[in-house]
Amino acid sequence: MEELTIAMPKGRIFEEAYELLAQAGYQLPKELDDSRKLIVEAPDERIRFILAKPMDVPVYVEHGVADLGIAGKDVLLEHDRSVHELLDLGISRCYIASAGLPGTKLDDVTPRVATKYPTVASHFYRSQGEQVEIIELNGSIELAPMIGLAERIVDIVSTGKTLQENGLVEYEKIVDITSRLIANPVSYRLKQDRINLLVSRLRKQVSE
Amino acid sequence: MGIEMFEKPLGMRDDFPRIARKKAALRNNGIAIMEASGFELIQTPTLEYYDTIGKISAISEDALFKLLDNQGNTLVLRPDMTSPIARVAASKLLKEKMPVRLGYSSTVFRAQRREGGRPAEFEQMGIELIGDDSFYADAEIMLIAAELLNRLKIGKIRLVVGHTRLLQLVFERFGLTDEEIGKLKNALVSKNRVAYEELVNAFTMSDKQQEELKALTAAASIKEWEKWIDLDHAEQAGLYEGMTKLSELIERNGLNDTVTYDLSFSSHMTYYTGLVFEVYGAGSGFPLGNGGRYDGLMKQFGLQVGATGFGFRADRLLEVMPEQEERKLQTLVLFTEQTEEQAHAKACALRGQGHNVTLQYAPAVAAIEEFRTLFDEIYDVN
Repeated sequence: MEELTIAMPKGRIFEEAYELLAQAGYQLPKELDDSRKLIVEAPDERIRFILAKPMDVPVYVEHGVADLGIAGKDVLLEHDRSVHELLDLGISRCYIASAGLPGTKLDDVTPRVATKYPTVASHFYRSQGEQVEIIELNGSIELAPMIGLAERIVDIVSTGKTLQENGLVEYEKIVDITSRLIANPVSYRLKQDRINLLVSRLRKQVSE
Repeated sequence: MGIEMFEKPLGMRDDFPRIARKKAALRNNGIAIMEASGFELIQTPTLEYYDTIGKISAISEDALFKLLDNQGNTLVLRPDMTSPIARVAASKLLKEKMPVRLGYSSTVFRAQRREGGRPAEFEQMGIELIGDDSFYADAEIMLIAAELLNRLKIGKIRLVVGHTRLLQLVFERFGLTDEEIGKLKNALVSKNRVAYEELVNAFTMSDKQQEELKALTAAASIKEWEKWIDLDHAEQAGLYEGMTKLSELIERNGLNDTVTYDLSFSSHMTYYTGLVFEVYGAGSGFPLGNGGRYDGLMKQFGLQVGATGFGFRADRLLEVMPEQEERKLQTLVLFTEQTEEQAHAKACALRGQGHNVTLQYAPAVAAIEEFRTLFDEIYDVN
């Protein structure tokens, strides 16, 4: 049996995806005590997990150092990587939306949008015929409208609680997001039997 | 940020001697294999008109390097080799009605946007068989591609084969509009099975039909393709019969285990009109090369003829080729003012015996001891 390397985002998605694989019948080590480990082996299944930053998972997969990966659709939309998108795992469901202070509009002179997703945001506003200046931030996006950096933000919304706590309201829903199983194009062909089996077992689990 | 002294334009690389040597060996190997099958080497210009090759090449506009000539015409650095060769072959075929077999090993230029380090100029090696629309021509191309990989001793390989025209006809069978078919193809080209299935789920058709369309991505052999083919439809039946014969031919050549026939396989190169294939090898995360039938491209040159070919990326082949260090011994002959004449004679004699000889005036080398370590054999002519 060929070894499979799967890149996983650290944190909550990893736990959910790991659970999904276990439910699909894969014999994975139960105890994952040391959370600082970057590589987790499942020798019984000849599977190795690489734990990476969510934004980096498609990079590992595109370059083929990981055969498979689990990545949020938000990351896939933001960075157009040449990978196979095989299955919607239906986990970590959320969406990307625009938000801002209540009762505000985009500024006429210098409409500004702050976001962690410049590609998604730029594409959205262009498709609306709006010309906006995109400001890329790496975190605490909610700050931007509060301190007058931008009238709108474009960010992930899962419960809406963070927006609410910062006195922001949602304006437009842009796209639904779930985690996807992705594959390197070469691995997908060279390890086709193992990968197809994994996809069909996961698919069964997801649809239940 | 200014430009640093040692910097090169984005995506441009220096090939240092070790790489340059490996590349040359690869090129020679490739050319030998092409010539053994009757494909003649050809070289086309680096610069082409944007209005002809630039537009025909199927490389996206933002990947083209454009410049102006002194008459104000827009030029491009050639972004692919298939279109220029198609042009050459077309002009030849207009006069003579016989198949043309051409091969090339040339660099092509594609501007990169991401991560800077990806090559924007890279060598492509390939062959084109123009003027033959039979499946025998497709099989010939596939066999030579496999032979090349075999000769380069690339371990595990896989050829994935699809058929652009058959896929189109299958989609039409499901009563889909051109717009719907376009969307499905886009999803397949971007390798997005999730989007493909979402599109199918949104079509108004029976559950059974939806399941059939979705199962299309799982077919892996020609036999399995039959489920989607309407054998009463003359064109489908004809193409399917051709593919069946081709797969038998491939099997007779012992390649069955390395070929996957995936009816849903689609290429981003829009000029392919029939059989398409892509080649993968263990050791590179990216496809090694691709090929297929592009009769439609010939039409743009005013010819109704068959054309098929493949191209490999030399940089990716180098990545997956096993290290074969057959470097020739390097000999050094050092001389001083007094010994120049004898040293020269010595070097000539050694070269005559087939040695690679470096002739160096010793006092000009500051780090003489380190310099000596670069050579396998040294003659101090005193």
